[in-house]
Amino acid sequence: MQLAINIAVLTAIYALIACGYVLIYRVSRVLNLAHGELMMLSAYLLITTASLFSKTPFIALGAAIFLSLCVGVLVYLFLMRRMTGEMVLAAVLTTVALGVLLRGLVVLIWSAQQQNPAQALGWVNHSLPVFGGRISAAGAALIATTALVYVGLFLFLRFSRYGIRMRAAGQNPLLAAQRGISLHVIYALAWGLSTLTGALAGILISLDSGLDSTMVLIGLKAFPAALVGGLDSLVGALLGSLIIAAAEVLMIYYVDALLSDVVPFLVLILMLVFRPWGLFGTREELDRV
Amino acid sequence: MLKRNLMVAAVLAGLTGAAAAQDAYNVGLTGALTGPAAGTYAPAVDGLRIYIDKVNAAGGVNGKKVNLILLDDSAQPAKAAANATRLVNDDKVVLLLNASLSSTFAPTIAESQKGNVPLIFASSVCPKDVYPPANALQFCTTAFAANYDSRAVLDFVKATAKEPVKLGLSAMAIPISRGEIDYAEELSKTLGMTPVSKQIIPPPTPDYTPFATLIKDAGANWVYSWAPWVTQVRTLEGLRRLGWTGDYIAWAHLEAENELARLKDGKLYVVGANALFQEDLPIHKEIAAAAKAANSQYPVNQMAEGWIAGMVIEAALKAAGWPANTDKVTASLSNLKVDLKGLRGGELQWTKDNHFRTKQYYRVYRFDEAKGAIVRVRDWQAFDVK
Repeated sequence: MQLAINIAVLTAIYALIACGYVLIYRVSRVLNLAHGELMMLSAYLLITTASLFSKTPFIALGAAIFLSLCVGVLVYLFLMRRMTGEMVLAAVLTTVALGVLLRGLVVLIWSAQQQNPAQALGWVNHSLPVFGGRISAAGAALIATTALVYVGLFLFLRFSRYGIRMRAAGQNPLLAAQRGISLHVIYALAWGLSTLTGALAGILISLDSGLDSTMVLIGLKAFPAALVGGLDSLVGALLGSLIIAAAEVLMIYYVDALLSDVVPFLVLILMLVFRPWGLFGTREELDRV
Repeated sequence: MLKRNLMVAAVLAGLTGAAAAQDAYNVGLTGALTGPAAGTYAPAVDGLRIYIDKVNAAGGVNGKKVNLILLDDSAQPAKAAANATRLVNDDKVVLLLNASLSSTFAPTIAESQKGNVPLIFASSVCPKDVYPPANALQFCTTAFAANYDSRAVLDFVKATAKEPVKLGLSAMAIPISRGEIDYAEELSKTLGMTPVSKQIIPPPTPDYTPFATLIKDAGANWVYSWAPWVTQVRTLEGLRRLGWTGDYIAWAHLEAENELARLKDGKLYVVGANALFQEDLPIHKEIAAAAKAANSQYPVNQMAEGWIAGMVIEAALKAAGWPANTDKVTASLSNLKVDLKGLRGGELQWTKDNHFRTKQYYRVYRFDEAKGAIVRVRDWQAFDVK
């Protein structure tokens, strides 16, 4: 049972991060390679809000999540908006530069020392018994949050006005613009939501096991999950995360822990060889890449 | 803020270095002052900077100032190489220091050898060339020591365990950590213990629970981890989340004192070669006062490594006299005794063949839940370094 719980927690981590990659790619065709850094930034924002609202943890959490949403929107408004109409490669390289900048800023502002947001919030990460196994409270929160985020995104994209506009902008931006949809609003919303989901992942991971600047690499490890599932599919991101997480944990359990680090990329290579558009991606979308 | 201060200090030191070179001891350091690894090294370097500032304020060494040039390598070998080249060739340092990841050692050592400049590893891991028979130019002040640490740990476990020891082992997937845990695994067998699980954990790992599950399921009642603090503490937290109630022993890195207080885990032991600041020795008060006066933003209890390096540099330069050159400094380092005033279990002594120390002392601490404080579990235990 513990094996299943461990896979579920890791799947939730990767899925929550991977949906951020998918949201931006699906709408704007841009691979956001600064997603890991934005996730880390959000966790560090929690350190600051926790010190400002030390007696009210929920306000500190809410403030950090709201600030992260704002950061995502601001990144679009002040940086990525200028990339509209440029080559996709230029936009991707811009996100790489943004990532380098954020990494430097985080160390300058918060230092490279290990931080413990849970301690700053006065919160204890209890261990909970589940079906004969055990899970940390933060791990359980990760699974619940991932489920809520995916259900919420499904409902938002399927039924809400802005969700439908996002899908339209993703499918045919020219036609969508001609129909009166403001692409800049839609893209800004996508960046905001993507950063928000990354923030949830970063904050919950940091509450579970502390925070330092190596969190960026966790963001990178979730990238294969998004690619395996198909970069334009949220269902694919979820399934891709499950495949990558299961491969990683099973490798730790039954083969060699050292291989757990490379197995996500091995799965990715296999997928790229046999089905480069991913499990739920579409050929057309990949051609555009 | 402090990172910025360190970088400004580094730039200013670089700008003023040439001018000061003629009338001061030039000492250069390449270290991980920024970047992901900085948390381990920057506090120690700040301790060193504060110590040297104190020495200069008191008139310097042999009436001459010590011009400490700090260069940031962000733990990147290429930057360390450029720094070492500059320090040796342009700044004409009489002593080189490394406070960075082991991946920066090769280029730093290469410049040290080319320029015949002695090199001290201060807060970075001690390379094997400082142990007997030592390389003529390499020295190390850092507390932790491969093999000796595991001997001390397992000696403590053997003396403390009330039942047969089933040992779990945890390392980070980096050569130094893996090598030490491999050594500990073999050593534990000779001491009558049963190693039941050895986890080599890749950095970074989003969730340590799978590794902890394997250790717990193997039936370990003691777990030993010798790795960067992040791996040590996250493995422990993973185990506790699974309801594991055994004893856990780890190396007392810079972060240990604050982390013991945070975790409040009575069965977490840390073994270290530096006295924790909760001992409140006069030297600890001196460091705290100096750090406060210098407005350092690093926790004062993470500065002992830098302070010790400063004491060693001061003693070596004093013995080398004025004017000093690299040969004189090397000679003084090779025959050095420094009273560390309680920061470690005894004096630091280097000889011609031993550039680590002739005796290595270990103390064990844990958090006492009843007292609500960190307590000493075992006092200094000496091991001869041969």
